[in-house]
Amino acid sequence: MTAKTTSQSTQGVVTRFRSRKSRRTEARVALLFLLPAVLLVLVFRIIPLFWGFGISLTSATSTSAGEFIGAGNYLRALDDPNFRSSIANAGVVLLSVPIFVTIPMLLAILIDQGVPGRAFFRSVYFFPVVLSSVIIGSIFSVALSFNGSFNALLKSLGLPAVDWLGRSATALPVTLTIQSWSTFGMGVLIFLAGLSTVPKDMVEAARLEGAKMWQVWWHVIIPELRPIIEFSTVITTIGLLTSMFGLIYVLTGGGPGTATTVPEYLIWSAQGRLNQPAYAAALSIILFVMTSILAWLQIRIMSRNANL
Amino acid sequence: MHKLKMAAALAAMLAATPALAKEITVWDVNVDEPSHATYYDHAKAAFEKAHPGDTLTFLSQPDAEYYTLLGTALASKTGPDVIWANGGAQAKNLVGGLIPLDDKLPDLIAKLVGKSAFTAPDGKLYFIPTTLQGHVVYYNKKLFKDVGLDPNKPPTTWAEVTKMCDAFKAKKLACFMMANKEGYEAEFFLSEMANQSLTSQQQADWLAGKLHWSDAPIKAILQTWVDTSKAGWYQEGGNSQTMFMDEFTLFSQGGAGNVWGLLSNVAHWKVFEKDMGVDNVGVYPMPSPTVAADQHAGAPGVPLDGGVGYGVNKDSPNIDLAVDAVKILASPDVLANLVNDSGVVPANTLVDTSGIDSPGLKQIMGWLANRAVPTTHANSSAAELDEWHHQSQLLLNGDTTVDAAAAALDKVQAQVKPQK
Amino acid sequence: MGLLALSCLYPIFFAVNNALKTRHDYLLDRFGLVQNPTFDNFVQAWTRSHLDQYFVNSVIATLGAVLLLTVVSSLAGFALAALRFPYRRFFFIVILSSLMIPVQVVLVPYMRTMLALNMINTHVGLILSYTAFFLPFSVYMMTAFYSGLPRELIEAARIDGAKLLQVWWHVMVPLGMPALVTLGIINTLNCWNDILIALLTMQRNRTLMVGISALKGEYSDQIPLFTAGIVIAAAPIVVLYVIFQRRIVSGIAVGAVKG
Repeated sequence: MTAKTTSQSTQGVVTRFRSRKSRRTEARVALLFLLPAVLLVLVFRIIPLFWGFGISLTSATSTSAGEFIGAGNYLRALDDPNFRSSIANAGVVLLSVPIFVTIPMLLAILIDQGVPGRAFFRSVYFFPVVLSSVIIGSIFSVALSFNGSFNALLKSLGLPAVDWLGRSATALPVTLTIQSWSTFGMGVLIFLAGLSTVPKDMVEAARLEGAKMWQVWWHVIIPELRPIIEFSTVITTIGLLTSMFGLIYVLTGGGPGTATTVPEYLIWSAQGRLNQPAYAAALSIILFVMTSILAWLQIRIMSRNANL
Repeated sequence: MHKLKMAAALAAMLAATPALAKEITVWDVNVDEPSHATYYDHAKAAFEKAHPGDTLTFLSQPDAEYYTLLGTALASKTGPDVIWANGGAQAKNLVGGLIPLDDKLPDLIAKLVGKSAFTAPDGKLYFIPTTLQGHVVYYNKKLFKDVGLDPNKPPTTWAEVTKMCDAFKAKKLACFMMANKEGYEAEFFLSEMANQSLTSQQQADWLAGKLHWSDAPIKAILQTWVDTSKAGWYQEGGNSQTMFMDEFTLFSQGGAGNVWGLLSNVAHWKVFEKDMGVDNVGVYPMPSPTVAADQHAGAPGVPLDGGVGYGVNKDSPNIDLAVDAVKILASPDVLANLVNDSGVVPANTLVDTSGIDSPGLKQIMGWLANRAVPTTHANSSAAELDEWHHQSQLLLNGDTTVDAAAAALDKVQAQVKPQK
Repeated sequence: MGLLALSCLYPIFFAVNNALKTRHDYLLDRFGLVQNPTFDNFVQAWTRSHLDQYFVNSVIATLGAVLLLTVVSSLAGFALAALRFPYRRFFFIVILSSLMIPVQVVLVPYMRTMLALNMINTHVGLILSYTAFFLPFSVYMMTAFYSGLPRELIEAARIDGAKLLQVWWHVMVPLGMPALVTLGIINTLNCWNDILIALLTMQRNRTLMVGISALKGEYSDQIPLFTAGIVIAAAPIVVLYVIFQRRIVSGIAVGAVKG
């Protein structure tokens, strides 16, 4: 509570004292601070993006520049049933974002509030993140196969065996569960960093006023974490849409049918195996636009009260 | 005086430039495979002996990213001097970045089998095949005895196959292994069923895109895929079963009576004879449900084509040296190492395989001499195979119909192999 | 929490256990405890497959990129979160949107750019590429972190007449320590585990993960060898992480905000 009031008063003082000249200096220095980042991003990401957009308007393959075909690749995407189902799958993937954000946040708060053995948890939760998705995939594709150990366990409990990765209905949810398990350690780490910005005496004060644990979490800690929650949501969304390839490749190969084919997987196969880089570029641009709109919406919704 | 010395030194340096050591780079995904080590070592030694001062370098590439890397490198005019590729759709995708080899290595090419997997629509050969890949059935003789079949009389007709599978079903055992997680079993199935049921004209039409998925001969194969599954020939969970190497390991542990296997690299005579015992494994060519007019009932063919091969990047600064590296990689004495160590069937007919003591290989070599037929899936485009992976899984799960699957496949075929 | 922790330990056990098996033993039984442990996979990976050389390349590229990323992103995050200047929102959107570019669309243009800059097969090229590819994430995270800090901490320093660069060094860097350390860990992992960028950029002189992913083989039948490679690659990260564990905890304590 005290933090808020001091904040307001100092800001008032500062605004009064700040001259025009110092504001210009501030702008100049700020741009200077930004320059290296903007330059790098421009040269290695933004310019290649426009270039790639150019390629998406052609019929290029890896060994010929092809010719200009306008929106041909985009029209083809609209008519491609595999692309349509990959978009539908992406929708399902997005529904899981809240789970991907909430679980690491709750675990991080628990660790931060001093659960016994916190150093241990902090280390161990990190381990799956370090290992390659090939190893994670190898473990689960065998454990979850029809004759695998998981079904053996179910049978011993009198439950029926399920072909977890071979059925259209279960393949994607199972894949998402494994993905969330293998990456939650990263989220815990990010939230732990964010929790250090929550003023400790605010938490103490609330406790002294007799607030229950969940009240402290809900009214003090989580509001203070807002920028990190927003960051984590946006990052998770982007991550799910652009970096699940490794796991899917080993676990399901995009199947059965197209049940676990996400746009990213389709882009990989068009770029490599099918030798249609121009089509891959068009799909990438569509994915880019979709992700951007989503991220923009998320930021809009979450930063209604924010200063950015 | 001083100046003169410097000029002389400079001249000497310039004169030396053409003789500067050159490096020929090969990209390949099998460099770290221990059973390939001797082969690469011999190739390197032979090359460096023939070209003193130059070096041959093998770079191991990750399989999952290989064609993405290669495509990007070729499109940016970089990449290696010598390019490894799988025969069929992948090799044919790359020909625009390679040089044709017909005029460069005529003597070698005359001795090769399996060239069609590496021949472009223009009729020219762009890769030199080193191995042959083909499809036969391996069976477990002990399980044959257990279900009351004669282990020395594998089926030669479709009726006998059906009878065999009924015997396995009666004992609640899988007749064939099914591993279609990546869709590979469906690829093999296509070639195995087409082997006797398509005429050679139909095989040629297939390559050209004139025979469609919805045409009777191919649709019959899709129907057989569904029927055999409904008849209970396969173990459960085939759509989540990994082929390499889980399926073949399960087979050698007695998971099913038969498995559609390979001739080269993995899942072949050498591996099974070692894992199951020479006396316990048998091999036969797969019969089809129907026999085409120009095929022989009771004597099924073996789908056969080039397995992997090496080509030369047209942007290589040292094309002649690169061609020579390819020649060495495919030469009989160097290739013999690969045949001995990893049990591949060589594409070069001059390689001596008579010393290999394997009853399975002897039988196979006999069939290859007079029963080889095209590998139907290697003559499909990559995009069609991709769609066949999807559709075959949906068919197994009962999520689609044969007609709908054939229509979806026709659409892809029309896109990648347009007919005028 | 405890069960979850146990499940997280399992992959490490799986990796080490199978790295000690032969290819044949692995195929026969991949969950069972290794019967006749062999170090052949480690020896083969380290020597014949040149992981020893690749290791050095990975260390150089990762260290360089992580240092550069830390400095550049903390400067940019400071500017975006706490300073006033025209087009601030625009710059933020440019950097943020580059986070969403799927890597495939830029492959060929990126390669051509690297060729034009003559940076193929150089450590500098790889360091700059990593920095550029992981920068949007880093800048975004630092911006989010800094905008969570109470503003008066910055303003107070400025009233004292400190120059902005001094404010950054004396206030923002120490306050940002928890985020910077976390970011350092994430970026280390990203650079260390990257395959695609290194595969394109370093066509001769490769990095560790590229070498390791090539161990899997055409038929994915060399999993024990591959796993030995993964254990070699993961070991330094795990050891560093556990050692720095205390440092990280105390770093966060030092940085903690007194309201």
